[in-house]
Amino acid sequence: MFKIQRSRIAAALATMLMFLLVPKAHAVPSFARQTGMACEACHTVFPELTHFGRMFKANGYTLDNLKQVRDITTERENMLVLATLAPLSVMIQVSQTWLDRPLPDGGGSTGHSQTSTTGFPQQLSLFYAGKVAPHLGAMIQASYDNASGSIGIDNTDLRFANLLLLPNDRGLIYGIDANNNPTVQDLWNSTPAWGFPYAASNAGVSPLAATQIDGTLAQDVAGLSFYAMWNESLYAEIGAYHSAKQGITNPITGAAGPLDGSVSNVISGAAPYARIAYEHQWRRHDVEIGAYGADFKLYPGGGSSSPVPLSGPVNQFRDVAEDLQYQFIGVQHLFSLQATHIHESAQLDASFDAGVSSNPNDTIDTTRITGSYYYRRKIGVTVSHFSTTGSADSGLYPSGPQPGVITSADSSPDTRGWIAEFNFLPWLNTKFSLQYSLYDRFNGGGTDYDGFGRKASSNDTTYLLVWLTF
Amino acid sequence: MRYLLLAVLTGTVFSVSSVHAANVDLESRIAAERIAVGTCAACHGWKGRSIAPKFPVLAGQRANYLLSQLRAFKAQTRGDPDALGYMWGMAAPLDASTMAALADYYSRQTALAGVREDPALLARGAQIYQQGDSAEGIPPCAACHGMGAAGTDMYPRLAGQHIEYLMKQLRSFQTNLRDVAIMHGVAQGLNEHDMRAVAAYLQGLGP
Repeated sequence: MFKIQRSRIAAALATMLMFLLVPKAHAVPSFARQTGMACEACHTVFPELTHFGRMFKANGYTLDNLKQVRDITTERENMLVLATLAPLSVMIQVSQTWLDRPLPDGGGSTGHSQTSTTGFPQQLSLFYAGKVAPHLGAMIQASYDNASGSIGIDNTDLRFANLLLLPNDRGLIYGIDANNNPTVQDLWNSTPAWGFPYAASNAGVSPLAATQIDGTLAQDVAGLSFYAMWNESLYAEIGAYHSAKQGITNPITGAAGPLDGSVSNVISGAAPYARIAYEHQWRRHDVEIGAYGADFKLYPGGGSSSPVPLSGPVNQFRDVAEDLQYQFIGVQHLFSLQATHIHESAQLDASFDAGVSSNPNDTIDTTRITGSYYYRRKIGVTVSHFSTTGSADSGLYPSGPQPGVITSADSSPDTRGWIAEFNFLPWLNTKFSLQYSLYDRFNGGGTDYDGFGRKASSNDTTYLLVWLTF
Repeated sequence: MRYLLLAVLTGTVFSVSSVHAANVDLESRIAAERIAVGTCAACHGWKGRSIAPKFPVLAGQRANYLLSQLRAFKAQTRGDPDALGYMWGMAAPLDASTMAALADYYSRQTALAGVREDPALLARGAQIYQQGDSAEGIPPCAACHGMGAAGTDMYPRLAGQHIEYLMKQLRSFQTNLRDVAIMHGVAQGLNEHDMRAVAAYLQGLGP
């Protein structure tokens, strides 16, 4: 039984890592084509948004200046307002990754892996990003990535938005958003989905632990939320997420559902999500402070080899986070700071009962602080500190019987380090990045985290990226 | 006198058909208000009271000037960098009546009180603005823009405008990125120090 549990958790971890390893994106030139405005209107440097970019998003990506195909009723009611040019964009990322120390040979030989990986492409994405109809917009991304070798749905954000004119010319934007990744709908770059690193290697080693709201459920859920923004400053959003698995079929019918115990980490009912933020501008400065959170009740399920019913006890993950963003946008000099802290308290009734976790309750705390400087939007340096700490749990963060790399001798999720990135943009839609990720601590240890002599620094990564969007 | 003649001869630069509130129909006025609050405000601020110095204050600006600029953005004839990056796209979908209504909307807003910066420069700025500097070949700005810099039907209001925006425009006139003959001539004689001085003086002027 225990062996089965182990294999199940290994499968769950592998799934989780797959999501963690998929790099984030993206800025979209189709918005520029649609609005006729240059990238700098909406971005400091892509994908970080300016205040105007945030308002464009809150307004449903609908601002446009393209010639339209129209149809109206005799009462002059609009029946169709369709751009003559589809808002399509392509993004390609080509990369080279060097690991500080090679991995053991996964095929079982006594040798080891190569230290470098070429991603050609690492990722290729097609976007529909722009207006769909009046008040209705979409950013839909389909991506090929070299890890899966296939094309799949990536970040998706569909929204309806409208503006209410209040007395004294104040505005209230309100809208409905449907998305597949908690915080992908958010307007600030201090929250996970659009936070730094904006692109990362998918050929490195990812730590064992991450909170649910921090990308773990990306492209695995569907969320519907209602939001309002008063006077371009006070933002509030409330919504809920439901599982929306990709690439999963019902074992009886072979159809896309319903889900059963052969699937892992299924949301019980709907998981509430909430967000509040306040933004203030003065002269060239812009500051935002906010909080966000969600409460996920997940059935651990089992996987096809060892199904577990989607009923009974659940694992409850309560994520509460605070975030802060500061931007200075000068003519020559641009500076921004993003910070977030996520606290997750997990009540693992299902996993503890099944012996998968060694504690009934665990916590994870993740903190990220990122500072960026750009000169004339052409040359930039970003430095980021990241830290994850949490309860030691020999079930969730197991040690391995052999050199593990993604195991933990201390059963600890603690990981911390730094990322330094140098960027050069010869044009606003072309980015060359050199990124170095340095680990002080990895899965609980500094010098021997897996119990077989691997150092945290062995997972340090040098990453060279060519990122083109057009 | 020479400058006055120059001003009169090149006055056609900003001369456009006038905007009067009475000419703006209700439908356009409502549309313009929605655009002003829902789109323009993100950069130009609530009621045109821009916060970021990159974006010009529009509150209290002369309607004729606003309309001429919107037309220039739409026709893609105004060529300074932010015109290309921002306003060409913004103005493209606006029809003539909405542009007139937007110009009318902002011209009706109360102009901002001046913000004084760089006090050491104010005296030099006032001198250039009011009297010019004949030794440097700089004409008095007040000859066209008025002593209080409130503008006229033909020339824009400058009082209370951001220093950074004013300097950016003066540089664009100098290099002809923004191709306005009269201002090209005027800005030629301005060095960086004098440019900042006159911009600081103007930002400090109230309504």
